[in-house]
Amino acid sequence: MAAPAFAQQAAPAGDPAEAHKKIAMCEGCHGIAGYKTAYPMVYHVPKLGGQSAAYISNALNAYKVGQRVHPSMRGIAAGLSDKDIADLAAYYSAPPGAGHK
Amino acid sequence: MNRLLAMIAACLLALSAHGAGKAERGKEKAAQKINNQACADCHGATGDAPKEKDQPILAGQYPDYIAKALSDYKSGKRKNAVMNGVAKELSKQDIEDLAAWFSSQKSEKLHFQR
Repeated sequence: MAAPAFAQQAAPAGDPAEAHKKIAMCEGCHGIAGYKTAYPMVYHVPKLGGQSAAYISNALNAYKVGQRVHPSMRGIAAGLSDKDIADLAAYYSAPPGAGHK
Repeated sequence: MNRLLAMIAACLLALSAHGAGKAERGKEKAAQKINNQACADCHGATGDAPKEKDQPILAGQYPDYIAKALSDYKSGKRKNAVMNGVAKELSKQDIEDLAAWFSSQKSEKLHFQR
């Protein structure tokens, strides 16, 4: 098995409640059930809730460095700190409604 | 005229048969060893049981997203050593079939998170 590209990084602990302040950029697409991205191709944006924190943070880190290619996700991930990514990973890997007050 | 209509109908049938994934074929494909590894080995037979922490749940995910991910792994646009090796061996129809199979499965874990 190939080692996951970013698993070795010591990541800060994620907090779903902190992420709730940071999901404004995410929920415009991922927070609308059945939403489709229109560029560069039309397809449903993936459901994220319940995916592991490791999977979410790997994806965001890969977008951030340009290893995974999607124009919108590249732009968004470029502005995320390690702590932001850890918080968002904690939020999306948590049960439904986590971090909502 | 009737012949023309019949030809058009035949074309439409062929198109729909090609475009749509067949979940039952996808189920068989998911269990089949490709480069000594089956989809089910890591993601679980229904895509609901990832073996490692960094592997995604596929059960209940949108079919067009799964197909996009597999196509990008096949072309190398999306990079993961294991997935690139597996997806390279899949035809377009295999990808549609796998997308139909995994998306039609239920997951207790994957949910819509606002």
